This record gives sequence, structure tokens and C-alpha cells, in this order.
Amino acid sequence: MRTEMTDWFTQLKNAKKSCLKDKNLKKIHYELENGQQMVEEYNLDTDVLTRRAWKCMGKFADDDKWDIEIGDPEPTYNSKGDEVIKESTGQPIVSRRNTRINLEWRIRNLPYPVETYTVTANTDEHCLVVRTTNKKYFKKLPIPDLQRLNIMLEQANVSFTHKFNTLIIVYQKPKQLLDFEKALYNEIKNVEPESQDVNNCKPS
Amino acid sequence: MAAAAAAKIAEVRETTRVERIGAHSHIRGLGLDDSLEARHVSQGMVGQVSARRAVGIVLHMVREGRIAGRAVLLAGQPGTGKTAIATALAHALGQDTPFTSMAGSEIYSLEMSKTEAITQAIRKSIGVRIKEESEIIEGEVVEVSIDRPATGVGTKVGKLILKTTDMETVYDLGGKMIDSILKEKVQSGDVITIDKATGKITRLGRSFARARDYDATGQQTRFVQCPEGELQKRKEVVHTVTLHEIDVINSRTHGFLALFSGDTGEIKPEVREQINGKVAEWREEGKAEIIPGVLFIDEVHMLDIECFSFLNRALENEMSPIVIMATNRGITKIRGTTYKSPHGIPLDLLDRTIIVPTQPYDEKELREILSIRCEEEDCQMSDNALAVLTRICKETSLRYGMQLIMTSSLIARKRKAHEVDVEDIKRAYTLFYDEGRSVQFLREYQQEFMFNDLDDKDDMEVETN
Repeated sequence: MRTEMTDWFTQLKNAKKSCLKDKNLKKIHYELENGQQMVEEYNLDTDVLTRRAWKCMGKFADDDKWDIEIGDPEPTYNSKGDEVIKESTGQPIVSRRNTRINLEWRIRNLPYPVETYTVTANTDEHCLVVRTTNKKYFKKLPIPDLQRLNIMLEQANVSFTHKFNTLIIVYQKPKQLLDFEKALYNEIKNVEPESQDVNNCKPS
Repeated sequence: MAAAAAAKIAEVRETTRVERIGAHSHIRGLGLDDSLEARHVSQGMVGQVSARRAVGIVLHMVREGRIAGRAVLLAGQPGTGKTAIATALAHALGQDTPFTSMAGSEIYSLEMSKTEAITQAIRKSIGVRIKEESEIIEGEVVEVSIDRPATGVGTKVGKLILKTTDMETVYDLGGKMIDSILKEKVQSGDVITIDKATGKITRLGRSFARARDYDATGQQTRFVQCPEGELQKRKEVVHTVTLHEIDVINSRTHGFLALFSGDTGEIKPEVREQINGKVAEWREEGKAEIIPGVLFIDEVHMLDIECFSFLNRALENEMSPIVIMATNRGITKIRGTTYKSPHGIPLDLLDRTIIVPTQPYDEKELREILSIRCEEEDCQMSDNALAVLTRICKETSLRYGMQLIMTSSLIARKRKAHEVDVEDIKRAYTLFYDEGRSVQFLREYQQEFMFNDLDDKDDMEVETN
């Protein structure tokens, strides 16, 4: 392990972990020393992380909400319409995915042709910046995975394609990140699931 | 047809909201100069010079914020401006300092105990200023469209398009948001920020790109650049919340239990303790700042002995606010006992309070107050009429006199005069009885009323026995 990545790694290692296994998914709940809570979900067939979420810590009270870092956002069911303001459903929506070798972003509902977009790596702010020439869309995409390990962004790792109204941005995982993920996965293997079957509740 | 007309009226009402006039809406402040000397007539306040000066010193004590748990008693006859002085103090303190106003009888509720009601009032009067990161939307309005259902009833549908130099997004608006957009009169070309959690709209100005439009703009219109980058940003904002609000947020029961407990109700002492600890922690870390405010209890003689002894104890806490009480009673029974005490307040609490007396107004001051009220109620009055009205106030009461302003102005309007004259006042005076004349009337005709027990007490006793 390199020295610069040990900080985050030891934080996770020292965190209080618990685990659930559901078919081919393994879910790990971390309770970090600073009180933050994080959940990761691994696909056991491919050993790839599919979801990662952070518990939102409200200032006054626990909001009972999760901030999804990787994976599709949680669907909102029949919200009573008491939201103050929200984006229209036809507006672009970002979701993050994780594959074995790439970090991926999908921005749906973007109808403009592929020439419109430019994606640049901003090393100062640790994020990718998506711009459009028609000035209709602009987004900063932070990469917390790399930021936590203090890995610099490189423009050469960025590529993007556009298909079916969706802009797919791909960032190739650097070597350090791959090493870190492997080490973490080995660590997680040791965490025993609490019970084999999650759905063992017998309805009377 | 009728429904459409009704909808139209409702719309007009919505855009130009009617300001209603209350008993103290002419008061804008204490009317003190920088050296805390009371100006005779200023900011809606008239006379009561020494009381106002005293309250001015209390104001400084609150602003300084270091002294906790002092009590001030405003004592005086009915209609001598006790509530007015308290209202003035609230205005002078400004928006950011919590000022809780309650009447003594408010604490008697079936929902919660008396001490709980007092505790809640005390905690409503302590503010906490917290820096917090919150999501805001900042951009230039491209289009705002609000549709009302064709039937005139039902929820409105709103759409707002905002842009920056780099992007453009369509937002759906909730009902509350639509109302505040209508109220703020947001239109395309404005640069606004919206707090995403609370929905608070702040108007920054108009976009430079719209500067050439031949809009009829006011002089104070500010032109600003269209913002750049992302529409949604995280910004550090400063909230002021009261301790009570934090209590409520943290005590809300989740799930089906919420069905059985009302929205407010009693808050567990453990929750309060936890929050006190948390606030102290934030304070040490420099994240939060305590703003002690004022708790005003009007008609304080309506509290009973238990409340007074609880108040005694509560004032000793270093987190307690400055408590201002007002009463119009003399030496009378303390509620809940048979003992008599000045102002109906037990001596031990009275010992802790500083007492500010208010004096009855003299004729000149009455005239001044009446002319201020005339202005407030949008009523022109001739000098003679004002003199007559002042006379009436002197003989009956200031409150009765103020009632006659609006009534006589309506009478004057009926005869199509734009100024109230002596005749109108006279007419209003004969139409509406004051308390004195009403008593006299009752004395004369009591035989014809039911349950009259003025003179024939003996008969009554026989009846009840």
C-alpha cells in the first residue's frame, strides 16, 4: 500500500462494519469513527461495487435520507407534492456507475448531438466539467473516490460517447485506485454476514 | 360565469395583499434618540417618556445579551400603553431577535401542563444562529408560467425556467413556491436565488441583458450580471432558529405513533437536555451563536401561584430570556390562593422584577395619539372633530375613542364627505355606547333584563338555596 492512500484505507479498516447477504449481493454497512455512516453493495458474481451511499447528517435531526454516490438514485414514491421546487422530469439527470476498470457517469435526457459536449478534467477542484456549446447544460462531476485517495485527475483518462439521449462519460481507473479497491475487497471478505437469509421473517 | 368572476377577484386579492390594521400597527419603534432620551412623539409612540426611557435601557440589556433571566413588570391602568411599549420594544429589537408575545391565560390548555406551556414560551424566546451549508438555486429567470385549472378551483401548476451563462433548466413549482413567486412578483429578466429547502426567494436584481428593455422600472432597480456555472450551488447560509423549533424537530415521533400524538404537545425533558448539550457544543466549536430574546407575558395576573413559582426557578437558568410582564391590576388576590399581593404577583417574584409604571395620558397626548390613529386608519378629521373626540376620550376611555374613529369615518363617508366632522362624531357617539353609559342604561332598565342581581342579592340567594 502506498502511504498517501493509507489514511482513507485505515479509516475504513477501523470502521465498525456489519454485513448482509442477499442472493448475489453483499451489503456492507460502515460506521466511521467520525460518526458518518456509509453503505456499499457488491455484486458477488463480478466482485464489482454496484452501489455506495452516505447517510445524510442533518444539523438538527437525522433526516433519514441517503446520499447516493454510486448507483441509480432511489426512486421517489408518490411524493405528496409538498416539495417547494424541483427539476422538471424531462431535465437531465446524472447517475454514476462503477465497473471493473472504469468510473462511469450517465447523463440522461440530453438530446443534443455529440459535438455539443466537451468534458474536461479540472485538477484544482477535483472534478470533471461537462459543458455544452449551446449553453444548455453545465455540470461539475466530483470524483470522491479519487479525492479520498489524493489521486490527480488526468485528461487522458477521460472519454465520452452519446447514445439514446444519454451522454456516457468514462474515466479509466488509475492503478492506485485499482490497488485500493482490491485491498478493500480482501478486507471485506472477512466480514461475516449476520444471517444467511435476509427474508427469513415468517409471516404468520 | 360566477365562478370565473370569483376566481378573478381572488386573483386580484392575491397580488395586492390587503394590510390589515391592528390596535398597535401604528407603532414602529420606541422613539428614542441615540442617547436614549425619549422624543415626545416619534415612531408612533406618544408620551410615557420615563417608561419608554426605562424600556430603552432594557433594550440595551437585551442587545448586549450577557444578562439572562431578568424580569421587568410594566404596571399601569388600562389603556396606558403597556402593550404598546412591548410592541415597540419588539420592533426596536428587529427581526433577528426572538420576541415571544403571549397572554397570561394562554397557558391554560388541556393539551399540555402549565409549566410545559411556560417552558415552551421561554424556549421560543431564545434564538440560535447557525451557519449551515444549504442548496440554493441561483439564476436569471427566463420564463415563469403559472396555470390555474379552468374550473377555478384545485391546485395551480407552475413552471419556472432559469438560466446561467452556461446552462438552462426547467423547474416544477409546488403550491407554496407559486404563492411566494406571485408575492415577490418575479418576472423574466430577474436574477433570483431560491433556497431549495425552505423555498425562500431573494431578488438580486435585474439582468444586464434586459437593461435595454423599455420597462417601467423603479429607481432602485439594480442591474446585475447573469450568474455563471451551475444553477445549483452549495452555499453557507446563516439560519436563526429558536430552541423550541429545534426541540420540535427532534421530538417528532416517527411512523404510526405520529397518529396518536398531536403536532405539538409535550416535549420530553430528555430531548431538551440533549439539545442544550448539542447547542453548547456548537457554541464551543464556534458553529453557533446564542441570541437571547424577550418573552412578553401580557395580563400576567392571570398566571396562578404554581406558574409564578415555576417562573421564579426558570429565571435562574442561564439560558433564560429577559421576561417582560404587563398587568393592570392593583393589590389583588394571587390566582390559586386567597392571599393578596400587589399586582396579583407573589412578593418573591416581585422582588426579582424591576417595575416600570405607566401613567394615564393627558389631554394633549390623547389628541396626538388620536391623530396618529386617524392617519393609520386613513381617515381625515377636522380639528374641531378631533377636539371633540379628545374630550370623549378624556371622559370615557382612549380605547372607546379610537373605536369612534373608524365608525365616524364610515358615517362621514355615507354622507359623501371626505372629512369627519363634529356631527359624525356625535352620531357615532349616540349610536355606540361606551361602558359608562351602558352601565347607566342597565341600572335604569335592569328590571326588564334576565338574571338581574344588582340590588336584589337576597332574592338571588333564596333562589340558589
